[in-house]
Amino acid sequence: MAPQLLQGSDAVAQAAIAAGCRFFAGYPMLPFTDLLESMARRLPEVDGVCMNAESEIEAVNMALGAGAAGARAGTGSCGQGIALMQEAIAEAALNEVPFVVFNMARGQQDYFQATRGGGWGDYRTLCFAPKDVSEAVEHTQLLFHLADQYRAPVMLYGDYLIAHTYMSVDVVPIDFGPLPPKDWALDGSLGGTGKSRQIWTWAMGKAGDPGPGPDLHWQRIAEKFEEMARVETRWESIDCEGAETVVVSFGTAGPFVEQVVGELRADGVRIGAFRPITLWPFPEAALAEACRSADRVLVFEVNAGQMIDDVRLAVAGRVPVSPLGRVSIDFSGMRQGEILTVPWIRDRVHQAIKEVKV
Amino acid sequence: MLLTGIGGQGVQLAAKTLAMAATAEGHQVLMSSHYGGEMRGGQTEASVVIADEGLRSVPILESVWSAYVMHARYWPAVADRLRPGGVVVANSTVVDELPTGDFRLFPVPAGQLAVEVGAVMSSGFVLLGAYGAITGLVGVEALVSAMRELVPPYRTQHLVVNEAALRAGAGAVTALDAPAPFGAPARSARASVGTAG
Amino acid sequence: MTTPSPAGPTGAGVPAGGPAAAVLIATDAPPTVPNRKVAGALAPLQLSGEHHLCPGCGHPVAWRLLLEAIAELGLANRAIGVVGHGCYTNIVSLADIDFLQCLHGRAPAVATGVKRVQPDTAVFTLQGDGDLASEGLAEVLHAAARGERITTIMLNNGVFGDTGGQMTAASVVGQRTKTSLDGRQPEAHGYPVPVAELVATLQGSVYVARGAVHNAGSVAKTKRYLKRAFELATSGAGFTFVEVLTMCPTGWFLPTADGPDYIQDTFEQTYPLGALKDV
Ligand SMILES: Cc1ncc(C[n+]2csc(CCOP(=O)(O)OP(=O)(O)O)c2C)c(N)n1
Ligand code: SF4
Ligand SMILES: [Mg+2]
Repeated sequence: MAPQLLQGSDAVAQAAIAAGCRFFAGYPMLPFTDLLESMARRLPEVDGVCMNAESEIEAVNMALGAGAAGARAGTGSCGQGIALMQEAIAEAALNEVPFVVFNMARGQQDYFQATRGGGWGDYRTLCFAPKDVSEAVEHTQLLFHLADQYRAPVMLYGDYLIAHTYMSVDVVPIDFGPLPPKDWALDGSLGGTGKSRQIWTWAMGKAGDPGPGPDLHWQRIAEKFEEMARVETRWESIDCEGAETVVVSFGTAGPFVEQVVGELRADGVRIGAFRPITLWPFPEAALAEACRSADRVLVFEVNAGQMIDDVRLAVAGRVPVSPLGRVSIDFSGMRQGEILTVPWIRDRVHQAIKEVKV
Repeated sequence: MLLTGIGGQGVQLAAKTLAMAATAEGHQVLMSSHYGGEMRGGQTEASVVIADEGLRSVPILESVWSAYVMHARYWPAVADRLRPGGVVVANSTVVDELPTGDFRLFPVPAGQLAVEVGAVMSSGFVLLGAYGAITGLVGVEALVSAMRELVPPYRTQHLVVNEAALRAGAGAVTALDAPAPFGAPARSARASVGTAG
Repeated sequence: MTTPSPAGPTGAGVPAGGPAAAVLIATDAPPTVPNRKVAGALAPLQLSGEHHLCPGCGHPVAWRLLLEAIAELGLANRAIGVVGHGCYTNIVSLADIDFLQCLHGRAPAVATGVKRVQPDTAVFTLQGDGDLASEGLAEVLHAAARGERITTIMLNNGVFGDTGGQMTAASVVGQRTKTSLDGRQPEAHGYPVPVAELVATLQGSVYVARGAVHNAGSVAKTKRYLKRAFELATSGAGFTFVEVLTMCPTGWFLPTADGPDYIQDTFEQTYPLGALKDV
């Protein structure tokens, strides 16, 4: 198909459907709303179901039900709405129900919320933060695959710039290879055969066929998350080889930083840019490697300093790490605060480089 | 490029039409909208980036090569970002209000032309037709088909006049000697995408 | 609304002027017919007779009726149960049908997701009054209003049994709980929520009934309510709801044997039995 001009939300909706998503539930909240509207328009065309749920709590639990019944399911929201969903995201992590949460955040201040959980129990949420609409289209499809592969809820961290920017994109279904059949999914068919199924966080099993119980079950899940942390980290590293300064940013801030770093590099400054693509698992080893020759790490994020914790953990005190961003909110609609512009970032990077030289 | 005006003038629809037409002509396009709280009467601005290939642009633009100006009220925000010698295609009813500067101004009597073709409400499309023809970025046929796709079903009665408006704008101007440069030049960064798997 | 009178131990006699009807058994003399088995110790689909609920608890009776209804309607290989948090949750281990144990109060939303992607299944929720009337009132009302083709069963014992006997939104006025030590007082604690009545007012619900398990008559009727509810929901008619009053002598701080009387004397005054809606 030829590329089409699509709003980010609509592109993500098409990508979700291309990935086989057939159930979606959401509750309006900008900038997530457009995705909900696109799903409401597009899912019925493929015999899917989109629910305009009565709350975020209902939406995420509906997605959990659909996921448990074997469908590729999605839900989403932002900020407070994601806060309301945390209980069910944790539950799904612990009872191993896959679905994708589209977190179209109102900026970058929800990094902790996305990466630290907020639900209960020992769990993690695989979280991808695309830098633009075309990456979001790819990540959306990959997330549906990984959710099924690991039987876990996963998250896309988007924002205004993903949700509302229009881009010419071609949504082509991506084949990530085969997955085992969902023989665990509930369909009622084995009732009365002695082999009926069960999805239960406590994993107590059935009389005569006891399950592992919570201790073993949750331990196994913890190991699954360790495995994900080993193999699912993704990142983009630009000109970090030999760089004295490395600027770290995530999501849609990435291209802004990339532009500034590119200009400086062209002027002969030894500077590189690093962007975690997965916020959890955070690409610690890759970042440490990217900062090998650096004597300064700058973290640009549009918040009071959240990802910087992970950056500090990654470089483990070997390089000084300083924040570049700050809280910056814009009510007018599209921008994520006044600091997310090339000139603002350029100024701060220049300043930071000078400061240390003096 | 930047498109500016006040809410209700059709600036967002014009931006989308341009972006869609350029996509249909095989370009890579990025478009984003910025507006104040109100749908009507407030600041409305859109930016469109058109590239041949390898589009690597942020959605919030630092500088632009051209501007489409329906109203002067929010002009300063555009002037700040216009590159020296940039192209400004402006609704001529507002031209007197634009301070002079280092840019090439193309006044188009969009309101008047719209009345002449019986499309009072479509001056935004007149200006867009003119913009396309002056800059050479997109052909009028592509603009017309994009407009047809974008006008919602409950507004189909406007298709005819909108088309007339686009054509009137395109016919009223002459093209630049040097047409628009496409997109940001590709830089030679050594980017690597890694995965641990 | 009818209140079934319990079949008293000695109440049966021979109607005046007629031959003894088969259903009337004289109990003033030793039985003339030897013992015979009318039901197995295990209900159909029941995997084990061992549960750890309290003696005198009403939930196991309700479980049994639920499983009998599912089996008799031939739904065993189509049924998916979505179960909340409470003493009744244990059915997930005890019955041979598919179960999803979900978050407190959210079963109707979860069941909606299940049913919408598996439209040919018989999806039901099993919840308590704490789970449904307290924590999850919104979920059940919305599912009912949407007319989801599911059956919701609320086991109402007017108390959070599992957490040791605190007041729920369904505790009746005067009921002693650990958080209403002198009995539920309207001035301090407000009034109970009559969920069945609320659900019945919503257009998306097609069948609403309230049964009980404190005597033979109510047990028999409750099973009929459950069967009707499953039939209508699986036929696509809409949302169906069956409330079942169950004994919780532990949470009521009563001797085990006093549970049934407490239902009859106290609960039924607030929660009259019968079918409230059948369209
Ligand atoms: C969110 C949440 N809050 C509280 C609890 C604790 N909890 C578990 S069971 C229960 C009581 C359930 O009462 P009810 O639904 O009436 O069932 P019963 O035990 O009376 O049958 C509570 C409050 C929980 N599991 N989850
Ligand atoms: S506490 Fe009440 S509801 Fe729970 S098992 Fe005991 S009697 Fe039954
Ligand atoms: Mg209870």
